[in-house]
Formats: sequence, C-alpha cells, structure tokens
Amino acid sequence: MIRSLAGIVVLLTTPLAAAPAPTDPAARLEFNRDIRPILSANCFPCHGHDSASRKASLRLDDREDAVFMGAIDPGNPDDSELVFRIHSDDSNERMPPPKAKKFLSDEQKQVLIRWIEQGAEYQPHWSLIPPVRAELPEVSDEAWVRNPIDRFVLARLDAEGLQPAAEADRRTLARRVSLDLTGLPPDPELVEEFVGDTSEWAYDRLVDRLLSSPRWGEHRARYWLDAARYADTHGFHFDNEREMWSYRDWVINAFNANMPFDRFTIENLAGDLLPDATLEQRIGSGFNRCNMTTNEGGIIDEEYRVLYARDRVETTSQVWLGLTTGCAVCHDHKFDPLDQREFYQLAAFFNNTTQPVRDGNVRDTQPIVAVPLPEDRPRWDALGDEIGAAAAAVEERRETARVDFHEWLAAATTRSLAAALPQDEPYLCLPLDEGEGAVGHGVVDGQPVELSLAESAGWQPGPSGSALLTSGAACELEQAGDFETDQPFTCTAWIKLSASDGYAALCARMDDGNGYRGWDIWTQRRQVGTHVIHSWPEDGLKVMGKEQILADEWTHVAVSYDGTASAAGVRVFYNGVRQETSVENDKLAGTIRTEVPFKVGQRHIGSKLTGGVCDLRVYRRVLTSAEIESLAKQTRFAEILALPVAERRGEVADELYGFWLGMFDQPFRDRTARLEALEREQGEIRKRGTIAHVMQEADEAASAHVLKRGEYDQRLEQVFPATPAMLPPFPEELPRNRLGFARWLLLAEQPLTARVTVNRFWQELFGTGIVRTAGDFGAAAELPSHQELLDWLALEFRESGWDVKRLFRQMVMSATYRQSALATADKLVIDPRNRLLSRGPRFRMDAEMVRDAALFASGLLGDEIGGASVKPYQPDGVWEAIAMNVSNTREYVRDRGDRLYRRSLYWFWKRMAPPASMEILNAPSREICAVRRERTNTPLQALVTLNDEQLIEAARQLAQKALQARGEEDTDGALRFIALRLLARELDVDERQVVRRSLDRLLAEYREHPDLANALLEVGESRASESLDPIRLAAWTMLTNELMNLDEVLNK
Amino acid sequence: MSGMISRRDLLARGAGLLGAGLLAPGARGAFLSAPPSFPGQVPPHFPPRVNRIIYLHMVGGPPQMDMYDYKPVMEKYYDADLPESVRMGQRLTTMTSGQERFPIAPSKFSFKRYGESGMWVSELLPQTSRMVDDMLFVRSMYTEAINHEPAISFMQTGNQNTGRPCLGAWMSYGRGSQNENLPTFVVMVARPTNTEQVQAISARLWSSGYLSGEHAATSFRSSGDPILYLNNPPGVSASVRRTTLDGLGELNRMHHDRLRDPETLTRIQQYELAYRMQSSVPELTDLDSEPRSTYTLYGDEAKKPGTFANATLLARRMAERGVRFVQIYHNNWDTHANVAGRLPDQCRDIDRPSYALVQDLKRRGMLDDTLVIWGGEFGRTIYSQGGLSKQNYGRDHHPRCFTMWMAGGGVRAGSIHGETDDFSYNIVKDPVHIRDFHATVLRLMGYDHERFSVNIGGLGQKLTGVVQAHVIEELIA
Repeated sequence: MIRSLAGIVVLLTTPLAAAPAPTDPAARLEFNRDIRPILSANCFPCHGHDSASRKASLRLDDREDAVFMGAIDPGNPDDSELVFRIHSDDSNERMPPPKAKKFLSDEQKQVLIRWIEQGAEYQPHWSLIPPVRAELPEVSDEAWVRNPIDRFVLARLDAEGLQPAAEADRRTLARRVSLDLTGLPPDPELVEEFVGDTSEWAYDRLVDRLLSSPRWGEHRARYWLDAARYADTHGFHFDNEREMWSYRDWVINAFNANMPFDRFTIENLAGDLLPDATLEQRIGSGFNRCNMTTNEGGIIDEEYRVLYARDRVETTSQVWLGLTTGCAVCHDHKFDPLDQREFYQLAAFFNNTTQPVRDGNVRDTQPIVAVPLPEDRPRWDALGDEIGAAAAAVEERRETARVDFHEWLAAATTRSLAAALPQDEPYLCLPLDEGEGAVGHGVVDGQPVELSLAESAGWQPGPSGSALLTSGAACELEQAGDFETDQPFTCTAWIKLSASDGYAALCARMDDGNGYRGWDIWTQRRQVGTHVIHSWPEDGLKVMGKEQILADEWTHVAVSYDGTASAAGVRVFYNGVRQETSVENDKLAGTIRTEVPFKVGQRHIGSKLTGGVCDLRVYRRVLTSAEIESLAKQTRFAEILALPVAERRGEVADELYGFWLGMFDQPFRDRTARLEALEREQGEIRKRGTIAHVMQEADEAASAHVLKRGEYDQRLEQVFPATPAMLPPFPEELPRNRLGFARWLLLAEQPLTARVTVNRFWQELFGTGIVRTAGDFGAAAELPSHQELLDWLALEFRESGWDVKRLFRQMVMSATYRQSALATADKLVIDPRNRLLSRGPRFRMDAEMVRDAALFASGLLGDEIGGASVKPYQPDGVWEAIAMNVSNTREYVRDRGDRLYRRSLYWFWKRMAPPASMEILNAPSREICAVRRERTNTPLQALVTLNDEQLIEAARQLAQKALQARGEEDTDGALRFIALRLLARELDVDERQVVRRSLDRLLAEYREHPDLANALLEVGESRASESLDPIRLAAWTMLTNELMNLDEVLNK
Repeated sequence: MSGMISRRDLLARGAGLLGAGLLAPGARGAFLSAPPSFPGQVPPHFPPRVNRIIYLHMVGGPPQMDMYDYKPVMEKYYDADLPESVRMGQRLTTMTSGQERFPIAPSKFSFKRYGESGMWVSELLPQTSRMVDDMLFVRSMYTEAINHEPAISFMQTGNQNTGRPCLGAWMSYGRGSQNENLPTFVVMVARPTNTEQVQAISARLWSSGYLSGEHAATSFRSSGDPILYLNNPPGVSASVRRTTLDGLGELNRMHHDRLRDPETLTRIQQYELAYRMQSSVPELTDLDSEPRSTYTLYGDEAKKPGTFANATLLARRMAERGVRFVQIYHNNWDTHANVAGRLPDQCRDIDRPSYALVQDLKRRGMLDDTLVIWGGEFGRTIYSQGGLSKQNYGRDHHPRCFTMWMAGGGVRAGSIHGETDDFSYNIVKDPVHIRDFHATVLRLMGYDHERFSVNIGGLGQKLTGVVQAHVIEELIA
C-alpha cells in the first residue's frame, strides 16, 4: 500500500518517465531513466560538466572519472564514497551538502545503491543517442490500432491500467482536424458532407481536402514565425518598421508547396549560400534576419554584434537541436556536455555577416534584395542588363572626356564657375551671417526683407564668416513658402548639429496643430530629410537621408522635392553628394498649403532646433545635382580656378573633373540621363514591389572570440566555426559556413534534428510535445513521455524525405488523435495533463485562431494570401503609450475595409507593443525565439473575447447572416445556422432552452432600450443590414457573442 | 541562525506580520472579504517589512547633480576640462566619445539643506525637500549599462538582456495576490508635460519573463479603458452583460458535465472575475470620491488623466485595495541638451506628487509596510554634452553614480547613504550596485535573494543574477 502510494506521488510530482518508476528490486535500472534525473538535480551542479563550478575536481557525469576518484566502485556500493556521503550524518561530509538545500529521499538513495550494485552502467543522455526503430509493442486491443502511433500510445496506457477514450463523434472530429490543419473551423458544408459520407475513406478524404487548402500553409507558418521571431519592427529603441513580410509569405508558400523539411532547413539557414541562389532561396535566408536590432545613439557596435550572433545561435539550437545553448554564453553548460568554447564556435557560423550592427532606423537595412511584383519580374530582369550597359557607357565617357576637360580647364576662370551656379535668384535667400544684433536681412520673392531675430537666437562662427545659433524659432516670414503639393522646390543651407538622438525642423512652413500640414526640412539623429504633408501620417511623405551628418561640423545640406507627391521625387544631398534615402512615409494626395508662417529653427509649435544655420535658400524648382554641388563647393572651386593654370593639375584637377562632367560635358550628360531614366524605371518597379532582408557572408574567414562571462569586451581565445563534440562530427567535405552547418544538421546520424522537429509538430496538434520542453532536450529537461514513439516518428519523417504533410497525415489519422476528449475521474488522477494521451487533445486555441475562427464563422474573413502587414481593430493608445515621439510606429492608424478582416498572421507586429488582444491570449512578443506558447486562463482574456470590437462586429455579422438566411421568426433555424458555424454541431434540447432564455431576456432589454440596440449595431466598420429589426438584431448579436465565448468555441 | 526565523515561526506569527499592513480603514473592507485570486508561491524567508511597493521610475536618467547630489566645488570649474584622473578612461556613449572637450557644467540650480538629516536638495524640488526626514537617499548607486535599453532592463529585471522577470513580477510570484478583483501588479505610464526627448519603453520591462504569465503587469491606461477591453462595448449595459454571462455560465457547466475538463471550470471562474473587475476597476479609478483634501495635497494636476500626479493618486488607491506592486514610469529625463529648459518641467511634474504620495500613505498608516522607490536607470555626466553656457548645458549618460531615494516600509528614514567625488563622477564611499539594491528590496519583501529563485533549465534563476549581491544593511531600519 505504501509503495503504491509512493508510486502515485512520484508520478504526479516528477517528470513523466518513459515507464513507471522501478520499484521491483530485481528490475534492471537504466541510467537515463532512473539515475540521471537524480544526479542531474542533486549532484551535477557541482560535479558535472561545468568545469568552473566543479567542486573537489570530482565529476559524476563521467563514469571513468567517478570510478577513478573512488566515488563509485561498480558492483560495490559499500566501497563507493558516493554511498557513504549520501548517508553521512556529518554536515561536513554529507552530500548534497546542507547549504545546497537539496535532499535525496530514501527511495532515491536505494536506487543509487542498486544501480552501483548492478555495475553502475552509464548511458549518454537519451537525446544524443540516435533514434532507433523499436519493435512495435504488443497491445491489449488490436482493433483500436489504426497506425503504429497507436501501438506506442496504447502500450503505455495498458501499463498504466487506462483505456483510451472512444472515438470522437464526426462533428467534433471534423472541427478538430479542420482547426488543426487549417487554423479555421470547417465550412458547414464540409461537415455535412463528412457526416453523410458512409464510405470507409470519408475521414481520409476530409483530411486530404484540408491538407490541400492554402489555409494549411498559413496555419503552419504561424507556428514557424514564433520560432523565427518574425516581426514588422526592429525591436529596440525607435522600434521602427522593418519591411520583411516577403519572408513571412515565403514560409507560407513553402508549407503550401510541402517543401521537404531538409530543403526548408537549408534555405532558412543558408539560402543565400546555395550555388546560383534564386531570389526565393535568398528570401528564405531571412530567418537569420528576424532578430531584434538597434540603432540607439550611444551603443558600442561590438556589444550588439555579439548579441546578434548569440541570438542566432540560441534560436538555431532551440529550433533544430532542442538545446539551450544560452547557458554556455558565460560558462560551460552545467547539465549538457557543451562547453563555453563550443558555444562561440557555433557563434562563428553566424558571425560573418555584412549586415551593419545599426539598423539605421530604416525599413530596409542592408543586405536586402528587391522583390518585384510577379508581373514586373521579366522587365526587372531585363533592366539589370540595360542598366549595366548604360552605366558602362557613362564610365566610358568618363574616361574619354579628359581631353576635353583639360582644354576647358586651361581656359577656365572663376567666371566660368558662375555659369554652373543656379542662374536664377533663389525664391528665398537668408544669409543669416550678420554676426551681431537682432536683425537679419534677406530676399523673398525678389523683395528685400528684414527679419527680427528671436531673443533665443545667437551668433557663432560659421563655415565662412558668422552664422546663426538657434534655439527654437529664430525668425519667421508670414508669407514665404506657402507651396501647393505640386510645387517643386529645393531647399539648401549650411547647418551644424551636435551629437544627440534629437530631432528638429531646420525650417518649416508647417502647422503641427493641424495634422502637420505643410512642409519642413527635418533632422533626426543628424539625418536630414523632409516631410511634405497634408495630414500626418495617412496623407504625407517623409524621406530621410540614411547617413548621419558629422556632429559639430558645418555641413551643406540640400533637399529637393519635384512636386509629384511621391517619395521618389525627393533627393537629399550632404556637401553636394547625393545621399541614399529611406522612405518612411509615401502617400500624399491632399493640399499642403497652410496659414501658419514660415519659420527658421522649428515648426509652427514644436520640434525646435538647437544648432547652427546660415545661407538658407529655397528655389522654386528642382536644382540639378551639379548646381547643388556647385553651391556646396563654390568656395573650394573658386579657390582652384584662382590658381595659375599650371597648378591646376593632379588631385586639384580631379576635384573638379566630376563636377565639370556633370555640368559642361554634353555627351556625358546625355549618357547620364539615359542611365537615370533606366534607374528611375527600376526604382518604380522596386517601389511597387517589396524587399527581402537576406543574409550575406563577409569575405573574411568566419570566426568569433570566446568571451569571458559573455562580455563583449572580455575577449579570450579566437575560435572558428565548429560543432559541439557531443554531436556527430562535422564532415570534412562540408564547407564551414552556414550552408555546411545546415547540411550537418540533416545528417543521417544526427540524433536531434528530426526528433525536435516532429516533437514540435506533435505539440501543434496535441498541445504538449512528447518532450514537454520543446526547446530543451537536454539533461535538465523532462524526459519524453513516449520515447519510442518519438523515435519512430522521427525516423518516419526523415526517411520519407522530410515530408511534412505526410507526417501530419499520419498523426491525424491515428486513433490516438481521433479520441474523444472525455476525461474520466481515473484519468484526471492518473493522467491529469493528458501526457499519456488517454483522451483526445482539447485545449484553448491560440490567440490567432480565436480571432480567425470568429471572422471565418461570421463570413468576414478574406481569403487573400500574403502581402503587406495589416492593422485591424485595436484599442486606441496601445502604441502611443510607449513609443518614442520619433518612432515611425508610434501611431497605430487602423486600416479600413478588407484589411480589417485578414488572418491574424498578417497583423502588423510591433515588438514593443504587439497586437493587444494577441498578447493577452499568450502570443509571444516575437522578441526572441519561442517554440512553445504559454496557455493561461485569465479574466483579461475573457474581457478580450467579450468586448473586442472585432469580435462584437463578427457576432453581429454572424447573427445578421443567420437571420437573413432563416428569416427573423425562425429562432431554431437561426440558432442552428450559428451553432453549425461555431461548433460544427447543433445545440441540444437543454442548451436550446438556456439559449432561448437568454434571447428572450436580451430582446426584452433592447426593446426597453432601443437606443442601446442602435449603439450596439454601430460597433465595427461594416454596416448592419437596414432591413432587419434593429432590436432583434441587437439581441441576436449579443446572443452570438455569448455563444462565441463558449468554452467549447474557444477550445479546439 | 541569527536573524532568521523558521517557516513554522513565521506561520505562527504570520497573521500579525502579513496582515498588519493590509487592514486599514476605508474602501478596502469589501475587497478583503473574498479570497485572493492566487496565493504567493514562496513563503517569505524573513518577516516581511513591506507588503506592497510603489516604484517611480524616471525614464532617461535624471541628472543627479542638478537634483540631489550637491557639488558646490564645481562652480570654480565652469568650462574647465574634466580631469583625466577623474574620468579614468571610462566608457562613454558614442554620442559624446567623439567630443573634443569635456567641459564641466556646474548645476545652475541652487541648493539648500533640509531636515534633521541636513540633506541638500535642489530648488527644483520644493515639496520633496520638506520630507527629507521620511526619505532614505542613496547617492552611490551604480550600474554598468550605458544605453537606455539595456540600462532600464538592468534596473527592472536584474539583467541587461531582455527576457527576465522584473521586480514586480517577482513580487507577484513570491507574495501573490492580496485581493480578488484587481491585478497584483500594475504599471502606469505617466505623460510628462514636456516631451522633448522621450525614450522608448516597452512591455518587455514589465513582463513576467520565465515566470508564469499571470505575474506580468497589467497596464493601466490613462485614456480609453483603464484596462484593455475592460468596458462593455457601446450598447451593452451591465444587465445585458449579466444576461449573457448567466447563459454562458450555464452552457459551460453543461459542457463540463459532458467532458469534465477542469479548465472549463476555471474558465467559468475567470469570466466571473472579469465581470467583477468591470465594476471594481471603475470604482478604483473614480477619483470623484476623493475629498478635496486629496487635491490640496496632490494638486489639481491629479485630476488630469495621464499625469504623474494622477498616477500617484491612483497608485495610493491601488495600494489601499491590495495591489502588491505599482510601477509608474515618467519619461523625458534624457537631458542630452537643454537641462535648464527642461529640468524645471520634469521636476514640477514629479515634485509635489512624490511628496503627496509619501505623506498620504503616512497619514493613512500605510507607509510602514509600503515601500516607495524613486530613481532612473543611470546618472548623467558633470561635463556638458554639446554647447555649454552659463544659461544652459546638456548632460550625457553616466553609469558610475546616480541617486535614488526610498521611503516607507523598513528603510532607514532620514539618512543619506554613499558619497561621490566633487565631480559627481566616481563613488568614494559605500557603492551600491543595482544587484545590491535588488537584494535589499527583496530582503524588505521578506526574501533572501540567494534563495528566492526558480528552476529554469536546471538552474536556479534569480533577480540578482550570478555575480554576488549584497544586502545593504545600512539601508534597513
């Protein structure tokens, strides 16, 4: 009696062992099952793999060492120091020592003694022994078995004295398998077809139909994107947008095409390194670009370079190897045979990217590739060659024109230069170089103006002479700069900024109190660009130079806008050199005219500039590059042309050459124009399409440094790419880069990859993996509940050619999967968490499924696959409450129309504030790899499903469709309509009674308060049907809301 | 065994120890009649001195020498270069590491001594200065982090990398809930008056990390629903909601009878709890019930949703109702430039409310077991970033010293701990690392930081991390 009670306690409190605890003294003990858990929990922290924390130089994880040190004398417990120590009463001798606060039970001590008696045989950790096909076990009920999965499951249930549950009814099963394979409830017609199909193959047919649905790929992709930590923002600091949804779509397509998992692995980890990598393969390599990045001003790059590589190692090892390598960042792993050096050898594989540490706060951090629309692909490919030829022609002229140049140079005077400067007077010209006093002079539209300078303004030395020092608005002009959207302009000035993350307007005619209407010349983090805005952010442009200007240096900046209401029409120049730009907003349509005055040093109200400004000019046209260069360099060029002809040679002449070509050489100008036209065409195609963040290897050999305590500036030994010794050796013939690494993961002798992968897929269906800790198959983790089953699945999967659909088919075809979820009293005691699979899988759906199911049932869900991320309903203020002012993901501007009703995996994922309802329902933040979601049951979740605008609207739509389909009087018919869509079944008599009571009360409530009914029908963007009685529709809406909150609806 | 008590002792005395602070007059009675929504997971190792914490975090890093760390000697050093002997090759942010000079900017604000302790306080904090004898100042805080993201993370979670539970989550995990209708751990993001240089903060700072999700903070918002999705949509009255929940509960019970999944019963309870929150939260946030004297104390700013004053008043109401941990973030302290222009705004936002909060707790008898913490993620440099004039200057991040203060539960009120050099650059006496601060706060919460851990991947993970942390006994009364 006592013994069996102890057995139950063990079962409930320790991780599930592969079989019941060995209580029979004669039974053979097995190291991995019986001994390792005891040693791992109690002894390994001080006598294990981590050399740094090892005490008394004793390790018990290594048999040879333990025997040599006398801790274990195989066969002779009485001569084993270990046995003496665990029984000692002397607190100085007792193990584990009192201060460790770890205690061995008498039973554990007995087990250790018997194991030493039996010879103290060790085994490598189970997951490091390659899987083998166990013989299929005998079971008590052959008839129950549908495929080998069931044998393993039933054998275990037999051992526990449990019986599997009966098969679920067809409706339940149809709903379950549809949710599991597509993430959506089944179409009612599909259910009826299945229920009415009496053939032996009815379920097969259903499964095949679901597997061929494009919804399959979306649903599988969602799980993968958690592991890949995919998101739509960079994650740190500004947390600006990152445009990489092409990777998300690539994952969807890969699952829909049933890409074998080995190929999927290679393309994720090393698509870019494949010979002649296709665009698609390169997009796949985006897996390693999904990590969080920063652009915080004060960072030291190396620190973050180390963090990025670390994140990539941790992600890769969790996803493919089920190893928590993160421990080895700072020290040797305490439980698994992974030492710190090996961690950095792994890091070396990922440490060799051309990606800059700072993401630049732009959506297209290098390396990226353009991903044109499918219809643009042919022209895109052709353009590559045409541009190459045009560029060659330009270069050719650059070589041959030297003769003409020297001829010109010999004759040129400073007056020749004047021809290059803009020939027209600027529309606005403010020298701001008076150097004293509170009055500035300038010219606006041909009229001289006097400016009274603000008290906060001062003077400082400028690039030549004096310059203004602003602190907010230095001066204003009532009329100037009142441009229309189609008015081209160029603004140039000398500026000087100090180092900071700040932002400000250099000059502006902008009403920041009225949707920021107007235009400005903008600086943020010492990048310079412009806003041209009707109403921010839904109707406006923002384009910024990608580079920063130097801190505390005078810089000539120029920004031109061509009046085309397009970001492509904005150019930015620093010191006469055209800059690469990043487009942060590109939708302008309305007018930009505004009443507020033109100001130097701020917008109308805010964004005050602290810095130096002078020679501010505005032209009412687009200046050419050469004109801008001549404005920026006129002083220098004048110096050169003032030299005697004989001295205008060598580097001095070279300084002028490029400028001369662009300004004076007609053949060069023609060829350049041709090149620019082609580039513009290319730019337009690029703009229509999207981009992909890809991996790209740097030229040098990959390496990393072992870091003391993991600190970036504590470099120890340099190491090169290599894989841990506990895993199969890295074949000589494979390259030591990510590609070789990916192929190594897929080797036949690799014990982990297939196991870890099938375990994750199993978890998607059954809620918990065969190994519960899906990202940790190490010694400190729980043992698998059914190791032989896991191994069988792993081998099936690998030997089938890593066929994902086949694996899922096998799993959902099993009798195990098809069980009813009924929990008996016995099962709740012996198998409370269903780890033994004594009943069918039943658990609350993931956040996305809850929302998608409601949209689907209501008929709102769109069926388009892929595309830019969307912003459906979300309570106001979720982003704004936490974002930095300058973040371009500060304001959540809700989408309209169809984009409100797309599947949740398309929801724009801002890492610092993930979609609110998703997060409450346990979606991970996507900051780091997540291979397993938590599943809590909280009041905040109830509030989401009760009150979310999205779900209320869906309830109304479903109610409306039911009433329209059935007529307002047919209560039972409408109820049936709704129930079939939410539950795939009808309500039974008792349920209908409850529901009718609710309905009657709701009708009474809304009849009494018709204003409430109208208010309810206004929720959501879609309109309620006007032909239905609003009171009735309101009551039915809330009834549907009640039903949508059923436990049965929220569970799969 | 000195200073330690056994768990049994604790349980025997428990009612007195744990309950003392809970029971104060007023609105709380109703909330205590029901059992807490979840119990603590770790029995305290010591008699707790603190049953709840209100943590005021100044995002961006306040300039200590303009507020609390008085350095009169600096007057003489105006525009002089920071001596290399002081800087000692220290890591600078890359925002000023390129600067040619490091000219010293003495604080332009005047200081006076206050109270028995004789603490020097800046003119910018006229209210706070009145209560220095209720406060414990630590002028010798330091960290290694030098940029905001890692630094705030370090301060809140004990680790510069993201993904660890924060102090509030540890409190929730260890000590559990002490009310039935409200969250255990609440965060509020107050809106500063001035928004020149607002820094990013994100939910990762109040996440539960590797602790279970219920220990993450619930965010209280200043506009819209105070808790996301709390309010019924338009057209749904309380009685409509009750009707649907009655039907829902009945249907769920029928479903439970069929499948007997215990999670179904839990869900029924959670829906009822949600319903109760729908009334308890509005009651909590309804400030109309506050007497006029409240606003005499906190100021009229406290009536405006989203202000720091409003958040502190709400924090007091939450503390009264058994919320264990309230975290308030106040932003815009990242004074790289324009200290003169901005700091008065910043201080005006927090000065009176901080005073009011401490005094309010005190007069209600709650200060004895409520800990109020004030501080940022690092300090700022004595040298100016960017231009320096007599009128204005900027200051870069400075990890090597900064000032925090605490008041209430178990801290040694009216004392000043630690000292920095004349430049407020290096600590010359009694340094307190973030992990020591954490260890000390945990001690006040009743925990030995060495033993307050959870097993993650086989390792005991704790707030104070792997480097040895020390409880600073001098901070404890």
